[in-house]
Amino acid sequence: MKKNPQTVQFTINGESKTFITEPDEKLLDLLRREGYKGAKFGCGQGTCGSCTVLMDGRAVYSCLLYAMQVEGHEIRTIESIGTHDNPSEFQQELIDGGAVQCGYCIPGMIMSATALMENETHFDDETVREYMDGNLCRCTGYEKIWSALRRVLDRQEAQNTQS
Amino acid sequence: MKLCEFLRPASLSAARDNLRELGTKGMILAGGTALHFMQDHTPVTAVDITRLGLSYIRPDGNFYRIGATTPLSDIQRYRAPRWAMHEICRRISTHQIRNVSTIGGNICRVFPWADLPVVLLAMNARMVVYSDHENEYSADEYFATQPAKRFLDGNILTSVKVPALQAHHGFGSVKVSRTTAAFSMVTIAAVLELDGSIIQSARIAAGSAIPFPRRLPNVEAALVGKEAVSEVFKEASTKAARDVPWRSCEGQSPEYSQHLAEVSILDALERAATFAHGRAE
Ligand SMILES: Cc1cc2nc3c(=O)[nH]c(=O)nc-3n(C[C@H](O)[C@H](O)[C@H](O)COP(=O)(O)OP(=O)(O)OC[C@H]3O[C@@H](n4cnc5c(N)ncnc54)[C@H](O)[C@@H]3O)c2cc1C
Ligand code: FES
Ligand code: FES
Repeated sequence: MKKNPQTVQFTINGESKTFITEPDEKLLDLLRREGYKGAKFGCGQGTCGSCTVLMDGRAVYSCLLYAMQVEGHEIRTIESIGTHDNPSEFQQELIDGGAVQCGYCIPGMIMSATALMENETHFDDETVREYMDGNLCRCTGYEKIWSALRRVLDRQEAQNTQS
Repeated sequence: MKLCEFLRPASLSAARDNLRELGTKGMILAGGTALHFMQDHTPVTAVDITRLGLSYIRPDGNFYRIGATTPLSDIQRYRAPRWAMHEICRRISTHQIRNVSTIGGNICRVFPWADLPVVLLAMNARMVVYSDHENEYSADEYFATQPAKRFLDGNILTSVKVPALQAHHGFGSVKVSRTTAAFSMVTIAAVLELDGSIIQSARIAAGSAIPFPRRLPNVEAALVGKEAVSEVFKEASTKAARDVPWRSCEGQSPEYSQHLAEVSILDALERAATFAHGRAE
């Protein structure tokens, strides 16, 4: 039972919703409790990135944010990016490249890559590293994740220059 | 800290009144990323100040004014002639943290690893604090002790005024860390004011590997009136041990910290000289 119930309203994957929470509940806990289980608990201290979601288009660690802080904001989780039958371009590249080992880090990686693709037009290595260096992979599959992402970014950049 | 209540005041004066009423039971909440480091589980009421219009960066006379709740990522992305604050912001933790952590949160309760106090000390920035009216503090005054003490009476940091560097000013900052997102092993920032090739004034500050961020007056004194050349920078950097006892930090010995500080001071001074002579923006 909640000790000090409060409500928080925000947009989650395009739908405006109201949730009951407590002042000290973290956004990650609320999301997972409400069925958005793609965001994972890894370190709980802002270092691993497995809990990454987007807030107003920017990648944030949901393990550090209090649910009450996101009132009125727009939250996007991995559940908004592709499905098993219809994966996003990056998800498909990860599969094709055999880049997923245990998979725990992958939702966070995809959310950071989404922020990168939506906020930038040029994807030089330094910019890509800047967006991705807050996501760790304990299976150390960085090479394949990087190559899969690079393929998507190279295509996107080529399209950007054409249009 | 354990949050028991959560308030979202609609104005700065309402936030101040909330905080005054709550006394020690109230706590300003900006990005909230530092609460993880404050593990004493004291029950507090969070007073969220992120909706008070304090997130902005704008030119203001001879200064750039940065609102207290401006996220580090906005400071990193901002560009203006001879703007220099982005360098250090890019080096703070990860982009997920920088999207949430604010400049105010970084300098109102200073942790040993905090990088911004070092840069703001070197830059001679001014901190604007709201109580019944706004008071301005120089960086030397503001960082003389732990600034958190200043915010016990419901006071709120509203903005930071960073001097706009002039053509004859040079700025350089160096943060040494084992990985991109790791805490600093040593952070150094330097501002040089040049008259031709002669150093008119110097502000050099350090952080991490010392108890609290501070300026290095012996290093500064060894620069003033001299030519801005490598030999002078090198000689000045050897004075670092006179200013402060360097201590072990992030697994390094005190001797190593001192050595790291000396080479970082040299590096920061070289960068400042390059900046003064016209850097690539
Ligand atoms: C994993 C991790 C790594 C990090 N690495 C670094 C690093 O290498 N270098 C670095 O410099 N920083 C680093 N940081 C950031 C830093 O430690 C703080 O977490 C951050 O700067 C706090 O900002 P915030 O906006 O989240 O503040 P909050 O957590 O909201 O507040 C911090 C403190 O300041 C007070 N406060 C906030 N705003 C105001 C205001 N306007 N007026 C008065 N009081 C106020 C609060 O009451 C609280 O006591 C790291 C953080 C994390 C989580
Ligand atoms: S669980 Fe959030 S960063 Fe690790
Ligand atoms: S695939 Fe296992 S943690 Fe990255």
